[in-house]
Amino acid sequence: MSARLSHPSAPLTRRGFNHLVVGAGTAGAIGLTAACAVEPEDVEQEPADSDEPVELNFVWWGDAGRAEVTEAALDLYRADHPNVTITTEYQDSGPYKDKLATRIAAGDAPDLMAIRRDQLREYGDRGALTDLRTIEGMDLAGLSEPVLAPWDVNGELIGVPAGLNTIGFIIQTTVLDEYGIDLPDGDTWTWEDLATMANAITAASGGSIYGTAYEMATVANLYVWVRQHGEDLYTEDGQFGASETTLQAWFDFADEMRQAGGFPPAGFFDGTTSAAEASYIAQGRTASQIIPTNNFKSYNEACGGTLALLRIPGESTAPRRGQSIDCPHLWSISSQSSYQAQAAELLSFLTNELTAWEAMGTTRGVPPNAEVAEGLLPNLETDDVTATEYILGLQAEDLPPAFADPVGATEIQSKLADVAVEVEFARITSADAAAQLVATANDVLAG
Amino acid sequence: MSTSIAPSTTAPTSAPSRQVGAAGRGSPRRRNEKAAYIFLLPWFVGLLFTLIPFGASLYLAFTDYNLINNPNWIGLDNFEEMLTDEDLLQALKVTGIYTFVGVPLSLLAALGVALALNKGIKGLKYYRAVYYLPSLLGGSVAIVMLWRYIFGNQGIVNAVLAFFGVDGPSWVSDPQYALSVLISLHVWTFGSPMVIFLAGLRQIPIMYYEAASIDGASRWRQFVSITMPLLSPILFFNLVLALIGSLQTFTQGYILSGGTGGPSGSTLFYNLYLYIEGFQRFDMGYASALAWLLLMIVATFTAANFLMSRFWVFYDN
Repeated sequence: MSARLSHPSAPLTRRGFNHLVVGAGTAGAIGLTAACAVEPEDVEQEPADSDEPVELNFVWWGDAGRAEVTEAALDLYRADHPNVTITTEYQDSGPYKDKLATRIAAGDAPDLMAIRRDQLREYGDRGALTDLRTIEGMDLAGLSEPVLAPWDVNGELIGVPAGLNTIGFIIQTTVLDEYGIDLPDGDTWTWEDLATMANAITAASGGSIYGTAYEMATVANLYVWVRQHGEDLYTEDGQFGASETTLQAWFDFADEMRQAGGFPPAGFFDGTTSAAEASYIAQGRTASQIIPTNNFKSYNEACGGTLALLRIPGESTAPRRGQSIDCPHLWSISSQSSYQAQAAELLSFLTNELTAWEAMGTTRGVPPNAEVAEGLLPNLETDDVTATEYILGLQAEDLPPAFADPVGATEIQSKLADVAVEVEFARITSADAAAQLVATANDVLAG
Repeated sequence: MSTSIAPSTTAPTSAPSRQVGAAGRGSPRRRNEKAAYIFLLPWFVGLLFTLIPFGASLYLAFTDYNLINNPNWIGLDNFEEMLTDEDLLQALKVTGIYTFVGVPLSLLAALGVALALNKGIKGLKYYRAVYYLPSLLGGSVAIVMLWRYIFGNQGIVNAVLAFFGVDGPSWVSDPQYALSVLISLHVWTFGSPMVIFLAGLRQIPIMYYEAASIDGASRWRQFVSITMPLLSPILFFNLVLALIGSLQTFTQGYILSGGTGGPSGSTLFYNLYLYIEGFQRFDMGYASALAWLLLMIVATFTAANFLMSRFWVFYDN
């Protein structure tokens, strides 16, 4: 080979060169995508009482730990249903979302699947998901109306919560102790109290730790803020309900804390940290942040068991309550599945059986079936009890309704992420950001 | 290592030797062509599987296909939508900057290292492998993740800058710098054009340089008057390939931004935008139309390259 390379031959001829480039160019350019179409239509169903071998494909997103406990629950089901084979798949949420779209497009939809809240209607409105109320074997009796109502779209129940969840504020109490700052009362604290505490922590630590940090572009955080201002991010009829004033105030509030020092500077969140152990609060770089409450145990363990879990500020002082029982993670059954009754039976087991939840724990949140939730409580570890009681407490309160995100929510979230960064780096004003977000949202939802 | 680079290095360089050697000898030439077709056979088989989605993509470009329901014919609507699509403008901008900054820099690096390696240093194979390795790894998920950590807030780059008393910016999360992180990754993966340059350099007959030395030509003069003209077809080949590859960049932007093209659209590569439209926003009809626009863009740049090559590429026949 090296002998040939060093052979003193003449340089490449034009003809030889042209052949090469045309070949290489065509090969590269031709590698573009295409897809084949699948129209949802009635699929012949295996009877519910069938003893025939049934193969269910069940997919979700999450880590290996979640997979392990889910498999443990599935093993219980398998033991009772010898004719049912359950194949499972899981991966991280980003790739999961993309893979699911591809599978459904390819006519290879899983029978039972986890769906993100913001994508439920993307699939449901287009007929890819089955109305769970119509399937034999689906037991919804233990789920209360407020738990199911948000997912009842156009008269069809297209998802049930895989677990109830909400967001909460975690605060590192050791930092407060170190600097002699009082822990706010989670039932009465306001956003101003948060700012005061955050600015005081940063000042007292000489800037070595920031008082608070939460992502402006996380839609779950924004939901609460918008509701507290008497509005809804998305209304029941699928419109964008947040006003420019409210959105501007959302960006302004963090910006003011940033200027006062309580909030980290632009570029602090670099997206490389997602696990609780690697979070900024566990690293000791921030003293408080917002988390989904089902993650409380992992955060508290990562922080040495010294976290306090508070409500989101302003809950008792704002014009309206902001928190609601949300669930980012829903179960749905494919309209393309031939085993809908069998999938519904498995879903009922995962939803209503205490033994299943004892195996799974609160990895997806609190059981949506209140009776199961109460039954699970004595078996939980302290941190999970804290998070579960937090949710059960909220459930007993008069909360504003939650609605499934309309089709197009994904695009609106992209815009929210973009303008949040632009404001953070002072490339546009918060007023511009709010105006752009509203304009984009209205445009996307119109059509 | 040398065997694995054989296809890319021998391809451009062996063609002339074949033709020169074949002149006037019909039978070996035919035998060579037969061998070429046998080697190309898998590609032709693959082409069949490509043509079907190719046709489907063309059809879908004129529909409102949403991945779930059957597509409806909507004529030129997707192409009209492009005229007012700000995200598309951003994607073109990002891809344009990445290409027109990254490609020249990476070719420059490739040529520089190839020239250095061509000096007959010891352990050439080792160096060639070391420099070529990033080309194999550069587009991989793991390396982009690594890059994200290196340039992250707490990464090595900022640690080094801090050592010199410089407070480094947030390379990954600042829209002003995120693309430069990926351009640096692009430049780092210069190995593939480098080995092709090296092969080209080693083809230039040494007698040209000897003659020039006797005439008193300086090193620079030799480089400008001998090396560059004789290397120009290789440079052109590398340029065309790098341009096509660069316009189709996807993985780097997808991984760095977590599939969003962020922060604030600063890594929204054309192919990533196409992917977002198709698989995240469920608008595969529009994504297909975008794919065809990309095909036209790539074709236009390639054609322009060929036209311009007449003025600077030197062929020895």
